[in-house]
Amino acid sequence: MEQFLVLAGVSKRYGGVRALDNVDFACNRAEVHAVLGENGAGKSTLIKTIAGVVQPDAGTMTLDGKKLSLRTPQAANDAGIVCIFQELSLLPDLSVADNISIARPPRRFGLIDLRAQRRRAEELLAGIGCEDVNPMMRVRDLPLSRRQMVEIAKALGKDPRLLILDEATSALTGADVERVYAMLARLKASGVAVLYISHRMHEIEALADRLSVFRNGRHIETFGRGERSPDQIVQLMIGREISAQFPPKPPRAEAPPMLEIKGLSWEDRLHGVSLTIGRGEIVGLGGLDGQGQKELLLALFGVLKQVSGEIRIGGRRKTIGSPADAMTAGRQTGGASGGANGGQAGVRSGGGIALVPEDRKTEGLMLPMSIAENLVIASLGALSNGPFMNTGRERVAVADAISRLQIKVGRDSDAVHTLSGGNQQKVVIAKWLMTEPAVILLNDPTRGIDVGTKQEIYRLLRELADQGAAILFYSTDYDELIGSCDRVAILYDGRIVRELEGCALTEQAIIAASLNLTRTEPAHV
Amino acid sequence: MSRPALLSGLSPDDRPTAIAGLFILVILAAGTGYTLSKFGNAPLLQPGYLLQQLQIGAFLGIVAAGMMLVILISQIDLSVPWTVAAGAMTATAVGGPWAIPAGIAVGVCVGVVNGIGVAYLRIPSMIFTLGVNAVMRGLMVAHTGGFAPQTTATDAMRFLAADRTLGVPHAIFMWLAVSVFMVVLLRRTAYGRAIYAIGNKEAAAYLSGVPTRRVTLLAFVICGVCASLAGMLLAGYATKAYQGMGDAYVLPAIAAVVIGGTNILGGRGSYLGTVVGVILIVLLNSVLSIMEMPEAGRQIIYGLVIILMLLVHGREGGA
Repeated sequence: MEQFLVLAGVSKRYGGVRALDNVDFACNRAEVHAVLGENGAGKSTLIKTIAGVVQPDAGTMTLDGKKLSLRTPQAANDAGIVCIFQELSLLPDLSVADNISIARPPRRFGLIDLRAQRRRAEELLAGIGCEDVNPMMRVRDLPLSRRQMVEIAKALGKDPRLLILDEATSALTGADVERVYAMLARLKASGVAVLYISHRMHEIEALADRLSVFRNGRHIETFGRGERSPDQIVQLMIGREISAQFPPKPPRAEAPPMLEIKGLSWEDRLHGVSLTIGRGEIVGLGGLDGQGQKELLLALFGVLKQVSGEIRIGGRRKTIGSPADAMTAGRQTGGASGGANGGQAGVRSGGGIALVPEDRKTEGLMLPMSIAENLVIASLGALSNGPFMNTGRERVAVADAISRLQIKVGRDSDAVHTLSGGNQQKVVIAKWLMTEPAVILLNDPTRGIDVGTKQEIYRLLRELADQGAAILFYSTDYDELIGSCDRVAILYDGRIVRELEGCALTEQAIIAASLNLTRTEPAHV
Repeated sequence: MSRPALLSGLSPDDRPTAIAGLFILVILAAGTGYTLSKFGNAPLLQPGYLLQQLQIGAFLGIVAAGMMLVILISQIDLSVPWTVAAGAMTATAVGGPWAIPAGIAVGVCVGVVNGIGVAYLRIPSMIFTLGVNAVMRGLMVAHTGGFAPQTTATDAMRFLAADRTLGVPHAIFMWLAVSVFMVVLLRRTAYGRAIYAIGNKEAAAYLSGVPTRRVTLLAFVICGVCASLAGMLLAGYATKAYQGMGDAYVLPAIAAVVIGGTNILGGRGSYLGTVVGVILIVLLNSVLSIMEMPEAGRQIIYGLVIILMLLVHGREGGA
């Protein structure tokens, strides 16, 4: 086998994070090469580097013996490197044919030759067994699986010498997956090199000739198909020291349930999720990215419409149609006073659901507004007398929140975007603690945060649980799930495939469950 | 961020207000210089003249107050012209003690329709309110048969708009009352916080439990009420309502809000700035006509001043 693409000493940093650390990597012609690794192992950065989307800080790339310097994705395409990303790159309001030829439409007298463009789309679609897709249809009107096939047809239209598929099969139906396998076999036979990223182990076992494992931005090992057992591969994917420190987990007695979820379904992202969280319990949501964890949190918080299933808080069935509903869901007396009778009674909204959202910059905070305004935005009702803000109580609440979470601020009237990422996240959390929630949902709250603040957040969560809150916590970091959660539910394809607890809660077990390796497991628990 | 030394020490929200205020002084100085050299007197500095300008400004000011609320939540209300006219026409047609409540009711109805369209049906406000404006216009033309309505303003409308106490036109008090309401609303109420939060990042406000749709609906209702109130005052001032009486208000109102430092994309701006913006626009118009500038020149200067003010603010916003 001749080496086709060779990377030598490639490094890439994002701020303080080494996404790629001195990576040597090679793949061959006429071969499907799978790249494996946990979330954040550096797979995506590797692909983006090869596809010209990001420029490496150091190292060299050669393709077919020639040195490569890719400034843009277009330059990569010109070199024969074509990438199919997991986020679709199609323009929904253009036709299938327009999309397939978007970069290089066939021309006639300088104008786009619509007939040739259509023929070309038909040929490419037929090549992957999708004759049934009408090239004149708008992409928006196609189902997701077919859109992904159009994406693949578009990539093939660029005559790749190296084709990269990044989770390109995650949206496909079974029949389309078979078509993609057949297409890859044909490409391989014609000498094309294929880089294949997937979290689905059985796909990799079926397709890959060689496998490379990445971890923490480093290339760990490359081996041929069948040289390693799935267990060994998982071991290679983990194998790192646990760095963060977690507060001790108290022994758990059987606690009364605080949050009960039964048969929660939403579109094709959640399929009958059932889960119970007791008072004072921290439950983690694990699994690979995009298996429905975010949707589960959003459904519980009333953001998603037409969610079916049952949600109970403190034993009472709740209908949650909006975040405002979710925040008051725990209130014991129906719609008691609506917060209108202020004064000393202190009508706290208390006892509802809180959600620390995924992206603090767009969902958690109003960045140009002040720290104080951000802190009180979820508690406006509790801090008002009738329609008027009680500025005295507001000041006290803001000062309390800042000191409780030790948020490092200059003045509380400074814009929140002047704070560091960790302190911004503390503002988001403090905002919610002010509402005294009974159920706290967190969507990857420690992403992009320094280790010190992470530890503070772990301690805080344990403290809140000890005070009786039920906490549901999605994280992409397995250490974090193991270290801070009493129990971890693993989602796969919108279902909880396993719940791990006590000494069964190991990284090995999480990864095995995440990849749904034991396929004999029932679809729901 | 570089800023003029004179204006340092002001918060970013107050700086556009100060700049617009300085510009008002420049306009007055230029106008006075012109009249002094040409006629040898300074009518622009007479209290009578200034009060008259404020009276004219009151109509625009009340429209701009409502418009500011809508702009703060990143929306726009283009149905203002015919809300002004419809409020006035309904009030004069109903007459008697129910004239003013009827006019207000028209404003509430238009606001509710706009609010439902924008907040609940999620139709872009620029299109939806434009459509509502056209429908209102059609309704009013059908109502009057295409002629100027024969009815006249009631005594109460005339009292509120044109009569004076101690020489001060009542319209100015009305503007003051609306202004106090706006300042309290924006600075002291939970609703005001919600307005700024939505304008800054609607998703974050929604995920913080702010009832974004209700807040949006109410903003359009307040804007509609302001427009119909301005229409009734205008009818009181002119003694009657007429077709197209609101046409001259929508763009100057938007301009006044933006000149006063409110971010056209929402989320930032102080009410005082809007007041100063209104005064600037009214004075500029008046001084240009006193200077006997031909219409073409007036339009050019008017447009250039707005662009100039926006350039000044835009540079600060980009910092």
